[in-house]
Amino acid sequence: MNRWYRTFVVTGLPLALGVAAFLTQPAAPGPQPYHLVKIDNRGAALAPWSGPWSCVCDRNTGLLWEVKTDDESIHDGLWTYSWYREAETGFTTVATTSHAVPIPATGSENLGDCYFEPDRCDTADLLRRTRAQQLCGEHHWRLPTAKELHTLVYTDSKAGQPSINTAFFPKTKRGDYWTADFGKPLLGVYQHLGNGAEAISFVGGQQVTIPHRNAAFVRLVAKNSKSCH
Amino acid sequence: MTPERKSLNWILLHSAAMLAVLCSLFTGLRIATLQRPLVAEFEELLPQGALHPLHFFSALTISLCALLYLIFRVRNASLKKRPLWCGWHRAIIRAGYPLLAGSIASGWLLFFIAGASARDIHFFCALGMGLYLLVHGGFYLIRWGRSALFHIVLPARLHLGITALAAVPLLAITWQLTSRQSHYPLEVANIPLSDHVHIDGNADEPQWQAARAITVYTDGGANFDHGATDVTLRALSNGTEFFLLARWRDRDKSLAHLPLLKTDNGWQVQQEGFHEFNEVRHYEDKFAVLLSPSCAFGAAGTAHLGRKPLSEKPANWHGKGYHYSTDGQLHDLWHWKAVRTNDMYLADDNFIGRADRPRAGERRYTAGYQQDGKESGAYVMNWQWYRRDGITPKRLPQSLEQLAALPGTGQGPWVIPWFDYRPYTDTADADIPVGSVLPSVMYNSNRFEGDRADVRARARWHQGYWTLEMARSLVTGSSLDVPIGDGICLWVSAFDRAQIAHTRHTRAIRLAFPQ
Repeated sequence: MNRWYRTFVVTGLPLALGVAAFLTQPAAPGPQPYHLVKIDNRGAALAPWSGPWSCVCDRNTGLLWEVKTDDESIHDGLWTYSWYREAETGFTTVATTSHAVPIPATGSENLGDCYFEPDRCDTADLLRRTRAQQLCGEHHWRLPTAKELHTLVYTDSKAGQPSINTAFFPKTKRGDYWTADFGKPLLGVYQHLGNGAEAISFVGGQQVTIPHRNAAFVRLVAKNSKSCH
Repeated sequence: MTPERKSLNWILLHSAAMLAVLCSLFTGLRIATLQRPLVAEFEELLPQGALHPLHFFSALTISLCALLYLIFRVRNASLKKRPLWCGWHRAIIRAGYPLLAGSIASGWLLFFIAGASARDIHFFCALGMGLYLLVHGGFYLIRWGRSALFHIVLPARLHLGITALAAVPLLAITWQLTSRQSHYPLEVANIPLSDHVHIDGNADEPQWQAARAITVYTDGGANFDHGATDVTLRALSNGTEFFLLARWRDRDKSLAHLPLLKTDNGWQVQQEGFHEFNEVRHYEDKFAVLLSPSCAFGAAGTAHLGRKPLSEKPANWHGKGYHYSTDGQLHDLWHWKAVRTNDMYLADDNFIGRADRPRAGERRYTAGYQQDGKESGAYVMNWQWYRRDGITPKRLPQSLEQLAALPGTGQGPWVIPWFDYRPYTDTADADIPVGSVLPSVMYNSNRFEGDRADVRARARWHQGYWTLEMARSLVTGSSLDVPIGDGICLWVSAFDRAQIAHTRHTRAIRLAFPQ
């Protein structure tokens, strides 16, 4: 290696490194693929760092979830509801029409707190209004089963936050969320009230049986929705 | 022709100096990226992580090498007199002496006294040293090729001098002294439990005057004069609570926190860097106190510089770095905010722990910097979803009279109460004229409740100075708080309408409780 070649290497290498470093600008951070997908009010999927969104599709379960808000609409996360199921015109069994009976109303009516009903609120109010609204293009909204709701429990949440991924499910409270499961006997101080309904506590993710008259939060779910398939 | 072979002592000294200068230069340039955007353009060449201890250790090594070389030159002064001009190599080496002396002197000046001029001198001497390394090493390589490398690693003889042997323990001792004994002591004055200290930002209680003050020069921030401000601190304790008084110079009282401006195209957040989480114009003033049982350099070892100091974790948007703990030690962080917490009479009680797991859906990853839990209460930003090109407010004034009473671009209430405003609707928005300005911060309760509300704080700005009083129980019982006692170290940072560009200081402030 002669002196000119060495001169070229010794001066050219640092210069090339400096110019390359100056010209190489690091890429902005980007989101990683995730099983939760934000869905806007019309049912269209959004990128993970976009918003606002009204629903979340869980690609692991195929369920479409309501997202709570702080806009004083029917989806405001502060509203609470007593557990109530209206009487339905359907039948509990289709075995034989002669033995079938209509589904009776169950639970406690209008014992939660909200602004959007002239009386107080129950789960049937939120269901009726959300179906009418066709939130995220979907009208088959219902209460989730305990098993379904438990799929949202996120045990590694930050200090003091509810046990859910709050980046996708903001305005979630550290409290009980109703499920569709009911008929389990109440225990302890609630024993005299008979049966209650199941709720998932987003303090720690545990399942609890509480009286229908309790004011708890609600997150609705829809299966087989267009925006989640 | 080949260069003259060197002794083992020379080779050890030269190698140590060479490695230390390289280490010091690259770590120092990374530190300089915090306040010199031009250096940050070359960030791909610079190391990342906890670089402050490495920088100081290499500086100490350079200083010792220089001292040993000076002793060698003095002891051998009579052996060989060189002519004034003895070739380009010698001239280049001689040119390096003042640069090295300047780097060392300005570095120690920064460490013990600090000052904007010292930092500038240090920076330019460091650049000079970088150039010196290129020219000095380059000329040798050009002239002798690979044999120059053998020349600096293969000794002529294997005799090791007593000075070289003594250098290692000397380095160890001076490092221990520098890293463990260089803090500012802050005496905590005892006051009776019956004395009341009102946390009101006035600091007019006689107890404060009786407490001994220390002043710490902090720099590296945005917007302050030369990015620097002196912070004067006093501390009190009544055996149950700890009180801290901080006073710092800030020419302007900055309360216009990300204001919302109505334009022809809708509402926009006024920002200059907020999109990258590094707002430096439309932001409130802030002050932060880090408390830790550790007194290690770099904010108790939590400061990790660079865009991606953790290879398995997300990069940050601004390239400055993250705070996190690598050993599981929890560090307390009190974060007073002139708009968001001052009217709550609180500082945001936060902590620095291990780097958090990345969370899908969160655009900003903050590593170890996190908030204590709260039961309720919060400030809320008045946008449904932040977008750089436009937002929709969550709430609007009830009337034009209410809108007219808002501060606009002047000084006024930059916090609005949630329940005095109404939810956004297109109809309500149509009544608001283009050019209107709304505050972005809303309180939906008057304060945090729970663990996050452990630190009472209130500040007042008067004639170019903020005066901030803070108080917290010595022991809160929370696993996310550091119990305060003798030997706990503090770091303080002031923010002048800046989101993350805070001032900093090198040496820890160590609390000295009366025995």
